[in-house]
Amino acid sequence: MHTVALVLSDSRFPGGGHVHSGGLEEAAARGLVSDIRSLGLFLAGRLRTAGELAAIFAAASVKCHEWSTLDEELDARTPSPAQREASRAQGRATVRAGRRAWPSPVLDSLVQATPRPHHAIVLGALTGIAGGSSADAALTAAYLSVSGPASAAIRLLGLDPFAVNAQVTRLGEAIQAVADRAVSVAGLPPADLPGPGAPGLDLLAEAHVRHHKEEVRLFAS
Amino acid sequence: MKAHARVVAELVDGRTVLRELRSQSPLTLVPHRGKPGLVHLVNSASAPLGGDELDLTLIAGPGAALRIAGVAASLVLPGPKPALSRFTVHVEAAEGSTVEYLPEATVVTQRAHHAAVFTGSLEPSARLIVREMLVLGREGESPGRLTSETTVRRGERPVLSQRLEIDSLIASPAVLAGRRVLATDLRVGYEDPPSAVAGEWCSLVPLAAGGSLATALAHDAVAAQRMIGLLNRSG
Repeated sequence: MHTVALVLSDSRFPGGGHVHSGGLEEAAARGLVSDIRSLGLFLAGRLRTAGELAAIFAAASVKCHEWSTLDEELDARTPSPAQREASRAQGRATVRAGRRAWPSPVLDSLVQATPRPHHAIVLGALTGIAGGSSADAALTAAYLSVSGPASAAIRLLGLDPFAVNAQVTRLGEAIQAVADRAVSVAGLPPADLPGPGAPGLDLLAEAHVRHHKEEVRLFAS
Repeated sequence: MKAHARVVAELVDGRTVLRELRSQSPLTLVPHRGKPGLVHLVNSASAPLGGDELDLTLIAGPGAALRIAGVAASLVLPGPKPALSRFTVHVEAAEGSTVEYLPEATVVTQRAHHAAVFTGSLEPSARLIVREMLVLGREGESPGRLTSETTVRRGERPVLSQRLEIDSLIASPAVLAGRRVLATDLRVGYEDPPSAVAGEWCSLVPLAAGGSLATALAHDAVAAQRMIGLLNRSG
């Protein structure tokens, strides 16, 4: 594994990930996630859907630099505007940190084509620029799809941090499997990349935005 | 069983004419008398069964209006041997045409293994409505395996590309939250909502490239239909 994967998946990387719960806040507010068991189910579902989609586009963006095409294709696989917005906000913040860490004309071309790029595409671009592989990018995206919501669960539900960490660790094989599948399709033309969807996350994201306007919420998504 | 049914609609003197209408059992297409462009899709045998490959192609020429309406829910059953059943629907809509694909619910029974594939290729001025209602298992029954894929492109741009896999993770709040019925209603070429409208278990959202998608998750089909209706998508 290349060190870029460690840096990008570190929760101390200043890419703005800490303000996103990936739907966990809404799920917790509704009582859908209330303990370690239900958190595990939430994370497993998130990994196989939103996580796999992010892993696929991160892996593809390591070598494919058709930024506008990738952007349009990921948009078409993200029907929820709230999810598109969360992805672009995190993408923008990751670009800001990445520009200082790995300055490159490749990153400039990404920002020129898409000023607010999707998070997964930025992850792939930065991984490639730093010398990492599609496998590094896929693993980073897959891991981030569950690590952020898991730490949000500690803050929102007061769950035992050791138990939450063990729950994420238990997903290790599943995270690797998602990354492997993503790498196996990463070389396809962008139009042919799979688009695993998650109706539950889409609905939670839209409801979260609505509630965000009405009451105080801790996370942006 | 393998079957391929096909409809080609054209606009002739301001009226939609069915230039071609090919049924193949179990996909039986019955044109409605008196309503040009309306065709009922009738399942003339118990299908899909494991191993079945069913194809339906819908082509609308410039300006034509084609509406395919289901008459009854289809029950996806396992075949005599464990095998995947597949139902593929392909739509091609030319300039100024309208295609509405409005099947009844698909009920995925226990041990069934089914793939539903929808692809749409639209000219920029074409309009499309696609409705889907997936029911995972009959009352009190756990569902089989299902993959549902929808890919719609308008001109060069992708509008929607989604693949849903129904497996052991349907209980996850991230996927179907343990709800048995998923209803969606996709519209392209109509007036899009200016912003998202969301209820607790339903939403109507504008898509990035134009078009809109209504989604509802419910415990039964009646509730799902009611939510889609609340989003003004019943008509």
